[in-house]
Amino acid sequence: MWKKAYEWLDERLGLNAMYTNLLDRPEPRGNWWNTLGSASLFLFIIQGLTGIFLTVYYTPSPDHAYDSVQYIMNGVAFGWLIRGIHHWGASLMVIVVFIHLLRVFFTASFKYPRELTWLIGIGLLITTLGMGFTGYLLPWHQMAFWATTVGTQIAGTVPFVGEFILKALRGGPELSALTLQRFFAAHIWMLPAVLAGLIGVHLFLIIKHGESHYPSQDE
Amino acid sequence: MNDETKKQINAKYERELQRGERFWPDSIFKDVVVSLGLFIVLVLLATFVGVENSPKADPSDTSYIPRPEWYFLFLFKFLALYGQIPVLGKIEWLATVLVPTIGIGLLTLLPFIDKSPWRYYTRRMLPLTVMGLIVIDMVLLTMMSDIPTVAEDGSKLLGLLQTTAGLIVPGLALIALFFMAYKRDENPVAPMLWTLGLAAVLMIGFTAVTLALAPPAEAEEAVASTLVDQITAGQDLYSVHCVECHGDDGKVTVIEGVEGLEGKEVSPINSRDVLYTLNDASMAEIINYGRPDAGMNPFGKAYNAEGLTKSEIDYIVLFMRYNWDDRFEKPVFKPLFPPLADGEVPSYDVHIAPMVKRYCVSCHRAGKENNEFVMTSYDEILTTGDNVDRNLVAGDETSYLLQVIQGHAILNEQGEEIIGVMPPKSTLKAEYIDAWIRWILNGMPQTAEDAAKLFVAPTPAP
Ligand code: HEC
Ligand code: HEC
Ligand code: HEM
Repeated sequence: MWKKAYEWLDERLGLNAMYTNLLDRPEPRGNWWNTLGSASLFLFIIQGLTGIFLTVYYTPSPDHAYDSVQYIMNGVAFGWLIRGIHHWGASLMVIVVFIHLLRVFFTASFKYPRELTWLIGIGLLITTLGMGFTGYLLPWHQMAFWATTVGTQIAGTVPFVGEFILKALRGGPELSALTLQRFFAAHIWMLPAVLAGLIGVHLFLIIKHGESHYPSQDE
Repeated sequence: MNDETKKQINAKYERELQRGERFWPDSIFKDVVVSLGLFIVLVLLATFVGVENSPKADPSDTSYIPRPEWYFLFLFKFLALYGQIPVLGKIEWLATVLVPTIGIGLLTLLPFIDKSPWRYYTRRMLPLTVMGLIVIDMVLLTMMSDIPTVAEDGSKLLGLLQTTAGLIVPGLALIALFFMAYKRDENPVAPMLWTLGLAAVLMIGFTAVTLALAPPAEAEEAVASTLVDQITAGQDLYSVHCVECHGDDGKVTVIEGVEGLEGKEVSPINSRDVLYTLNDASMAEIINYGRPDAGMNPFGKAYNAEGLTKSEIDYIVLFMRYNWDDRFEKPVFKPLFPPLADGEVPSYDVHIAPMVKRYCVSCHRAGKENNEFVMTSYDEILTTGDNVDRNLVAGDETSYLLQVIQGHAILNEQGEEIIGVMPPKSTLKAEYIDAWIRWILNGMPQTAEDAAKLFVAPTPAP
């Protein structure tokens, strides 16, 4: 019965081919440092799942954002756990992605034929930091409000186009309801979409070229 | 890179695959272990550390010191230190735009800058040592991020130390590394490592000195996070700011004893009339803007630098709702302080301060009529007041303070009242009066430790 179902699925999905192509691959001898990429992926998934739960109660308006977060912490069953994981997961993801970058830098894994993997990786780093920057404002507390004020101000010091960037980020000359709306949209739709797309390409390239081996003295 | 090298690289990789492992199950196993470990760490952090709370955003409170997510702190510090450099430091966009752009740009283009096929570590000393230097600097800048560059007394020593640790030493080391990589003929592995090591030691040393000299961080005011804490905070704020006009229970209909408003009629703010007609937002609005035409000043930060923040105003509204509005059910409250055991001596920190804040400070602070008796800190309570030498006398039951809170006004020789009963319009609960008496009879200890030393276990009745 199970066998039949499996065969039926395999005929249509190519499960066996997937197994040989995706899982049963040869790899150079690796070590624990090679786990950081998949750890980043894991954290991204965790952030996605907990984030979806948070949007159920979160309200992106200056009048209600703060209270809705307080409600998540005090009123919703296990809300504190979900928010806690999302909060710490964000920090951890930045650390893990950065150490992953350092590892591929130190082993020179960005060289031929993996240049594009590195380029996409930089995109991932910047998007991850963007997630941190936009997510920080959402609870609409003092620390975030003023940090974002200063952060966007810094963007405003760019010669010539600074003023434009500042207004585009804030949706006006000051931080306002529009800014919050914008950061919310970026944090839950735009940046995650970019991140997911880039991760897809990143993973495709890794499977295509295989993971690099640790260099020996003659290389 | 020509086709020949590419071929060699690919051939070498094939050989490595031959003596390698399988993705499933070898690599996946490690991946799962690490991911699981991270998940456990996350749950532990969420459970035992939690998320720090900060008051609600308040656009009018510009005194707030902005604090970005910690992983941006090193950039903020870099900007602050950069601003210390004469002349160049004034051109802001050099640091805010040019340096980060160059940083990210170099990182992005790395595969196209470093096109050599060499991968072994000793053949890539320059990129490795430079990256090492930058990472160390990032960590140290993050550690120093809270320390001001100019001390309160105007001394610039701290700023100088930080600039040395965070900019000058790494800058010099950077130049030295580039110099060695390009000027020496043979591969200078050892000298470059030594340079990196020396720079690291110096940077860490200067950072350690900075951290040691830095003024201790001010304890941040705790943010009320549970409903009970918020209502309590609201009650304390109400006691300080509103009692003189509206009374401690909001009942006042005719204001007494307030300059300029003597005899003014107000609607009792604990009444259904007021509580049912004003929703939370308009209530907060009234506290924020006041009723200037009627004599109530605006309390919001926007109108008065000493004023209340948005969160604080919300707490007051919560306090009013949960205490006076019959549509709200009051949650269970913690007492002001844990009940005193027999023979236990109360301390200022644990017992007296919360009482003073709730029942005395509304009048006993600067700028109010109170015989110059200011009660906002331990020292002030002991050293201010027209009758300072009689108010709190260690071990003396006839201390003026003890008399007035027990309902005995103090009269002078002519029989005129010089101090009325305190608090003037209500009486303290018996257990509060008991705490005051024990505190003064035992010499007014400040901290809980001092008080614990005075604890006398009650002698068991024979
Ligand atoms: C200097 C005296 C004074 C102080 C201090 C003061 N008020 Fe008032 N308050 C007034 C007066 C006068 C009115 C106008 C009364 C009226 O119109 O009936 C008023 C009105 C109000 C009202 C509106 C009542 C209504 O009829 O709609 C509220 C609510 C209120 N005060 C709350 C507060 C709170 C909360 C505080 C403390 C943060 C406070 N007040 C501090 C004098 C004061
Ligand atoms: C409603 C305002 C108000 C409150 C609340 C209040 N006081 Fe007073 N207090 C005064 C005034 C006014 C005086 C000046 C003497 C007088 O007019 O009776 C004073 C004077 C005193 C003095 C004498 C100071 C001196 O050196 O002459 C003591 C002691 C004192 N208060 C203790 C307290 C204590 C303890 C509390 C809290 C439990 C308290 N007061 C709460 C208004 C207040
Ligand atoms: C969300 C962020 C990221 C995810 C989810 C991710 C995921 C992965 C995974 C699963 C691997 C294979 C396993 C491993 O070597 O660890 C990998 C490899 C790689 N990553 Fe990333 N990565 C991210 C960010 C980055 C960044 C910031 C860079 C650098 C700029 C980068 C560059 C690379 C390179 C060059 C490889 C190939 C390593 C090799 O073949 O040895 N990645 N990544």
